[in-house]
Amino acid sequence: MGDVANYMEGLKSQLGDAVGEAKAALDGVPTIEIKPSAIIAALKFLHELPEEGFDLLTDLTAVDWLQYPETGERFELVYLVCSTKANQRIRLKCRISELNPCIESATAVYKGAEWLEREVYDLFGIRFDGHPDLRRIMLWEEFEGHPLRKDFPTRGLHPVERTPES
Amino acid sequence: MILNIGPSHPATHGAIQIVIELEGETIVRADPVIGYLHRGVEKLAERITYHQFIPYTDRLNYVSCFLNNVGYVMAVEKLVGVEVPERAQAIRVILSEMSRIMDHMVCLGTNVVDIGAFTPFLYMFNVREWGYDILEEVCGARMTVSYCRVGGVSDDLPKGVEEKILKFCELTESTMADVEGLLNKNRIFRDRTVGIGVISQQDAISYGFTGPNLRATGKQWDIRRAFPYLTYDRYEFDIPTHDGGDIWARYWVRMEEMRQSVRIIRQAIKDIPGGRIISDDFKHVLPDKNGVYGSIEGLIHHFKQVMHGINPPKGEAYASVEAANGELGFYLVSDGGRSPYRLRIRPPCFIYFQAFEQMIKGHLIADLVGVLGSINIIAGELDR
Amino acid sequence: MGLETAFGPGFITTTLDKVINWGRRWSLYPMPYGTACCAIELMGTLASRYDLARYGAEAIRFSPRQCDLLIVSGTINNKMTPVLKRIYEQMSEPKWVIAMGACASAGGPFDSYAVLQGIDRVLPVDVYIPGCPPRPEALLQAVIKIQEKIDKETVLDRK
Repeated sequence: MGDVANYMEGLKSQLGDAVGEAKAALDGVPTIEIKPSAIIAALKFLHELPEEGFDLLTDLTAVDWLQYPETGERFELVYLVCSTKANQRIRLKCRISELNPCIESATAVYKGAEWLEREVYDLFGIRFDGHPDLRRIMLWEEFEGHPLRKDFPTRGLHPVERTPES
Repeated sequence: MILNIGPSHPATHGAIQIVIELEGETIVRADPVIGYLHRGVEKLAERITYHQFIPYTDRLNYVSCFLNNVGYVMAVEKLVGVEVPERAQAIRVILSEMSRIMDHMVCLGTNVVDIGAFTPFLYMFNVREWGYDILEEVCGARMTVSYCRVGGVSDDLPKGVEEKILKFCELTESTMADVEGLLNKNRIFRDRTVGIGVISQQDAISYGFTGPNLRATGKQWDIRRAFPYLTYDRYEFDIPTHDGGDIWARYWVRMEEMRQSVRIIRQAIKDIPGGRIISDDFKHVLPDKNGVYGSIEGLIHHFKQVMHGINPPKGEAYASVEAANGELGFYLVSDGGRSPYRLRIRPPCFIYFQAFEQMIKGHLIADLVGVLGSINIIAGELDR
Repeated sequence: MGLETAFGPGFITTTLDKVINWGRRWSLYPMPYGTACCAIELMGTLASRYDLARYGAEAIRFSPRQCDLLIVSGTINNKMTPVLKRIYEQMSEPKWVIAMGACASAGGPFDSYAVLQGIDRVLPVDVYIPGCPPRPEALLQAVIKIQEKIDKETVLDRK
């Protein structure tokens, strides 16, 4: 956690109060809450750090907090980045509302964000502006609904199997 | 011309579809379509307990099932804060390395079969059968073992299995020597693999590559060294890399990794400590059967955990292992209840398949199957 | 208007039955439709230890036109179902189907929005093999059961 102080200062000076405090999660990875408008700038800053240079996008996913509305907006995006030079991980999170679930795409910073964002779009319905090819990846194009949302039933909406032909 | 390959095709390892645009026989564009094995495992996890999810992890990367078990229980152990005893960690290391050898055998066996060499496939599947014999004796099942538990492993190693594992190591080495004798200096194999399916190190890192595919571009990066887990920091092993970034480099790196795995297994068996094989924090770990049948506390702990789950504290945890294919990560978000609030599986195959178009642009159709086999796509992990 | 319908049930048709069934049962051409974990056990059955070639079913061909035994091994989900149906329709008569494993028989442990709960919802199945995954010996027994089923067939049934 001590290493985080090195770039927390830089992050805060660049992005001001869009950056929250760095807390350690249960696995010891420093987790920073950032406002959605500044998340891509934060990723770019961490990517371009001379010493650590967080070059590997380990994971990009979302959590649906529908059952806990008191914690904030509905959808939480989680970016886990890793530095192969300094052997460190850091987690960035931001919350977006369900009325307009839209955020800037990270494909400009990491090429690997392309399919990860397609999967989040497919399973949660969050749109990414600036994504080169945003379409469903796991399910077929005519599928209705976004399965990993909490209001989607586990067995599906239709009692009989809906296949792409029917 | 637009050609559709798959999803039912002998060379697609599993159910994947690739729509390619051809000019003559040269590939101009490729669009992989996945999702033919999407089973909704992440959604299923939200209504079952943490223990009940362990068998589902076996079915992710089904050629090396044990590595998936380890990754998942490590994430739960971080969430809950349970220490795993050293004997259990050493047993996990031995079986992980055996699973890694078996995974590389399938990957390389099917890869070279697509290129045209059938004999190494049979030799390598023989090694898998010997591995299955040992797994059956230790875990009770050939393939989908579900041997890990939160806090340790489910059963101790039976008597006499250490000699069998050492014999397995010798047989692996002799099989590898046979296969290398057949392939390494073979003109046809070299022509079909060197310079095909190249990806540069910078692109690989930008895509998020990890594992043997990244090491085949020259970057020395291994989760066992970068974020050490289990007892890996006690053993001496090298991390092989190769600068080519092509099919030959990936083949070579996997062969060398199997040698290093054999080295780790031999050291682990020599230094295996004694002691418990599962933690004694019975609030979160299932107690042993003597305790359950013999004492009232054991019975109550067992009942609470099976009926109500382990109820970890609120928070999140991410744990990853160096799976045979790369960094396999599990991200768990808990709201204090009996089921995970969100379980995310970070599959290495998903990341590699994005870069597939870049790797085969400008090559011929015959090269497509070679490249697809070398990046080791397992549909169970790709689609979950 | 075949020879068998001209003769009707009798000595000639039963001898013909025996010969044809003997030929069919010992030269099955499996079409391995492997999607998931069961496909690995299928590959193990075809390898050297549990040799499927002993039953004459060694020549696996991935072309449905040339095969007569469809072995569905692995989970079939909604996106894959039209593909499976098409492959089945492309196979020519006579054809048999083995549902290998829990997922193909009944959906397996995956009771979710994406998985077909058993291929018998879209195809007629001849033999179900339980197990997750079934051992190679179980697949061999299923092939033997298919052979026993073939023995009971008669030319008068098929046109």
